[in-house]
Amino acid sequence: MNIKVIAISFFAATLFFSGCAKKSIEIETPQQTTQQEGASEVEEGSGIKSINEMAEGELSEEQKLELAKKIEAKQKKIYFDFDKYNIRPDQEPRVDYDAKLFNSEEAREFKIKVEGNCDEWGSDEYNYALGLKRAKTVRDALAARGVEPSRMTIISYGESNPVCTEHTRECWAKNRRVEFELIP
Amino acid sequence: MRIGLIFLLIINIFASDLTLEIVKEVGNEPKVAVENSSSQVDPKIDRKFFKLLLGDLKVTSHFNVEENMNLANYDDPVNSAKYKNVAYLLRYELFYDDLGDLNAKAFLYDLKTGKKVIEKIYKISDRARYPFLAHKIVYDLSRALGFDDVEFLKSFVVFAKYISPKKSNIVVSDYTLTYQKSVVSGGLNIFPKWADREQRSFYYTDMNGIKPTLYKVDIYKGTKSKVLSSEGMLVCSDVSEDGEKLLLTMAPDFQPDIYLYNLKNGTLKRLTTYKGIDVNGNFTQNDTKLVFVSDRLGYPNIFMKKIDGYGVQRLIYHGRNNSSCTTYKDYVAYSSRETNNAFGKNTFNIYLASTKSDFIRRLTANGVNIFPRFSNDGETLLYIKEFKNQSGLGVIRLKYNKSYIYPLYVGKIQSIDW
Repeated sequence: MNIKVIAISFFAATLFFSGCAKKSIEIETPQQTTQQEGASEVEEGSGIKSINEMAEGELSEEQKLELAKKIEAKQKKIYFDFDKYNIRPDQEPRVDYDAKLFNSEEAREFKIKVEGNCDEWGSDEYNYALGLKRAKTVRDALAARGVEPSRMTIISYGESNPVCTEHTRECWAKNRRVEFELIP
Repeated sequence: MRIGLIFLLIINIFASDLTLEIVKEVGNEPKVAVENSSSQVDPKIDRKFFKLLLGDLKVTSHFNVEENMNLANYDDPVNSAKYKNVAYLLRYELFYDDLGDLNAKAFLYDLKTGKKVIEKIYKISDRARYPFLAHKIVYDLSRALGFDDVEFLKSFVVFAKYISPKKSNIVVSDYTLTYQKSVVSGGLNIFPKWADREQRSFYYTDMNGIKPTLYKVDIYKGTKSKVLSSEGMLVCSDVSEDGEKLLLTMAPDFQPDIYLYNLKNGTLKRLTTYKGIDVNGNFTQNDTKLVFVSDRLGYPNIFMKKIDGYGVQRLIYHGRNNSSCTTYKDYVAYSSRETNNAFGKNTFNIYLASTKSDFIRRLTANGVNIFPRFSNDGETLLYIKEFKNQSGLGVIRLKYNKSYIYPLYVGKIQSIDW
């Protein structure tokens, strides 16, 4: 098969180059004549623009959402101790990381929803307030690291948004967290 | 004689205080037997209905209930010889009328006098609401015998239950949670709270927008109207006696505090200013004070303050974690976490205290007992019990010092109001 293709190519190339060498001027002339005589530009239909047409380089809504999700996936969740809403020393580097991520060029245009979450060991209102205080501590920590406060909004989901539903200590520890959603 | 009088007086004062243990002689209540005459209805409903009737009779605390299901034709004469040492006989029959509606006819028979105390026919068009037929029968017969009011049997419960992460529906049910009707669904809907004593409408928080929003739902019109919204969190914790004022937990500056919202003129007043957590405000002492949960001592505990004052008074001096409370007049019921365990099961017990005395009464003994709520007349307390892998609905008859547990098949409850 390959040998066949190479053979045909070689033959065609030989024909082309040998032809060009002899009749290059004669070929060019009739081509120019044809264009001048008949071919005219069809203008109808060109220049129609849709509403909200983007400037070059601007992202569509879907692309923005996609980018937001891509950045969101890089976040580091901040974990808390049982019944506490202060940031543990071991979580500080994670907050530093998130601040850098949200201040990066690609993330800067997004708003940040800071979401506080709790484990199942709480009773109704207090648990939601605990989630809120966790979210607020992280928001303040991000603000202290240069993330514009006006970009951030906070919400508590209490125990309503577990990432893990088993009744184990590892699972509860995973649920006591603050995480982020980027909003275009 | 004088000493005797003083003694009697003390007993009377204490007897009216629900925070004290009242030890009653067991078995003093009149014995009641139940006869089922139903033959037309689905066996499943027939069995459930009988269980509901027994449960209702027990939970009134007015009867010593015989558990057997006795069978008899509705119109046959009562066989008194069969029921020695039994004071009353309840005979009932479930049947469908010509229109297909579920009916129940029932009478209560006094075995000593040989007379019927009460006889009535009941009807319900929506078969799913059959638990209310049972509740109404027991309510009526208890009333006919002149016992203390048991209106809580007929009342509704509104609760939010989790379906999946960030999703919960709001459901209206009977007090046993047997009948359930989903009223609000789609997304995360939490913290339902009855808006009036008649239970015609309730408030709840819609968490589906950027900001939590409080809505009021009319359950008979099927309509909802927006009340207000706030950053971070928003909960309607209590409604004043006249239904015109709300105690809300809000966080307009990302800081959970308690606010008083006047529905009449739309004014909002911040009642707490502590920089930590202040939540769960409940009216007490004729709506002049509020009882609330705060972590101002480093852990959640119950405090009290005047609506129009600044000073905050600590109310409870025991427990490591008293993170939720509810009030009825001067009484406070609260759930207390007895263990502070990040690595295993925790125990939560429910206590009853008074804002006017130092007495405290423990109402539960083991497991996880949460969401205490008073009935409209304050004599009954409803709560959720989680024990091992089961959950149950607890009913405590405070005046009678009795408690009952029903098995519960509803999933995880977020919040409940009676």
